[in-house]
Amino acid sequence: MKNINLKFIGIACLFLITSIKSYSQISKAEIIATGLTCSMCSNAINKQLKATVGVDSVSTDLNTNTFTVYFKKESKIMPRVLKEGVEKAGFFIGSLVITVPTENLKIEGDKTISLNGSTFVLLNEELKNSNGETKLKVYDKGYVTQKEHKKLLKTFSKTASYPLDNEDDYHIKTVI
Amino acid sequence: MRKIMLLFSLIISISTATAQMKIGDSLPDFQLKNNKEATINLTSFKGKTVLIDFWASWCAPCRLANKKLAPLYNQYKNDNFEIVGISLDTDKTKWMNAIQKDKLAYEQLIDAKGFDAKSALLFGVEALPNSYLFDASGKLVAINPTEQEIIMKIKK
Repeated sequence: MKNINLKFIGIACLFLITSIKSYSQISKAEIIATGLTCSMCSNAINKQLKATVGVDSVSTDLNTNTFTVYFKKESKIMPRVLKEGVEKAGFFIGSLVITVPTENLKIEGDKTISLNGSTFVLLNEELKNSNGETKLKVYDKGYVTQKEHKKLLKTFSKTASYPLDNEDDYHIKTVI
Repeated sequence: MRKIMLLFSLIISISTATAQMKIGDSLPDFQLKNNKEATINLTSFKGKTVLIDFWASWCAPCRLANKKLAPLYNQYKNDNFEIVGISLDTDKTKWMNAIQKDKLAYEQLIDAKGFDAKSALLFGVEALPNSYLFDASGKLVAINPTEQEIIMKIKK
C-alpha cells in the first residue's frame, strides 16, 4: 500500500515538473492604470486582477502607482486579458511591462517571437543575450495612453503590423 | 458532522467578509489605535453626530477632502459633532506627516492594511475617500454625505 502511494507521488511529481517545463509563460506584469479618478484609490482594479484565472497574486506600489501581477506557473495569460480586466474595472492601461523568462523568447525571422499563440514583434534592437528574465514593454493601442499612441503611430510607421491593432499581436521593446 | 461544521463556518466567513454598512445600521463595536497609541472603540462616539472618514495619505482626492473636513470640524466641534478619520495607510510615518500637513485636529485611527483592512471590509469600502455619517443615536444616516448634509444633521 505504502509502495503504491510512493509511486503515485513520484509520478505526480514527475508530471508536475514536466508540465511546468513544457509551458512557456509570462511570470510577472507591471501595470500603471489611468482614468478619470485616482486608480489606487479604488479597489476595483485590484479585485478584478485577483479574480482573473491564472493570476497568483497582485501587489500595489503606492509610490509608483503600479500594480504588479504575479502569475501561476502554468498560466498562459497574455496582455490582452490584463487589459480587459483593467478596462472592466473602469480604468485604462497607461503602461504595461511584462517579465518573461529569457529562455521562452526565441526570435524567428523578421524580429518576431511566438508565445502561447500570440506574436510579439520587436520594435528595437535584438534581444539582449541575457540569462534569466527579460522585461518587455508593450506599445500597442490600449497599452499606452491615447496621446502616446498617436505619437507612436508616426514613430513606428515603418512597422507594417503596428497600425493594424491586431489584438493577438504585441509590439514590444526590451526594458533595461 | 465535521463537514457540516466546516460548511457552516465557511458560510459564516463568506457572509462576514462581504458585510457592508447599510443605512440604519448601528455604529459598529470596533477598535483601532489612534495617532497617540490609544485604543479607541467606535461605539464610544455614540451620542454625537459622527462622521467616519476613510482615507489614506497617498490618496489625492482624500487629501483634497481633508482641506474641507478640517475647517468643518473646527467650526462644529462644540455642537456635539465628531469626525473620526480611519486611514488605510500601510506606512505610519506617511500617515502621521499627512495629519500634520493637513492640520487635522479630529480623531485619527489607522488600520494599516489598505483595502484588506478589517474596518474597510466591515464598512464595505471599495474606493477612497469614503465616509459614513451616524446620527446621535448611533444609526447610519448617510454614505458619502455632502458638506450641506453633514451640517443639516448637526443642526437637527
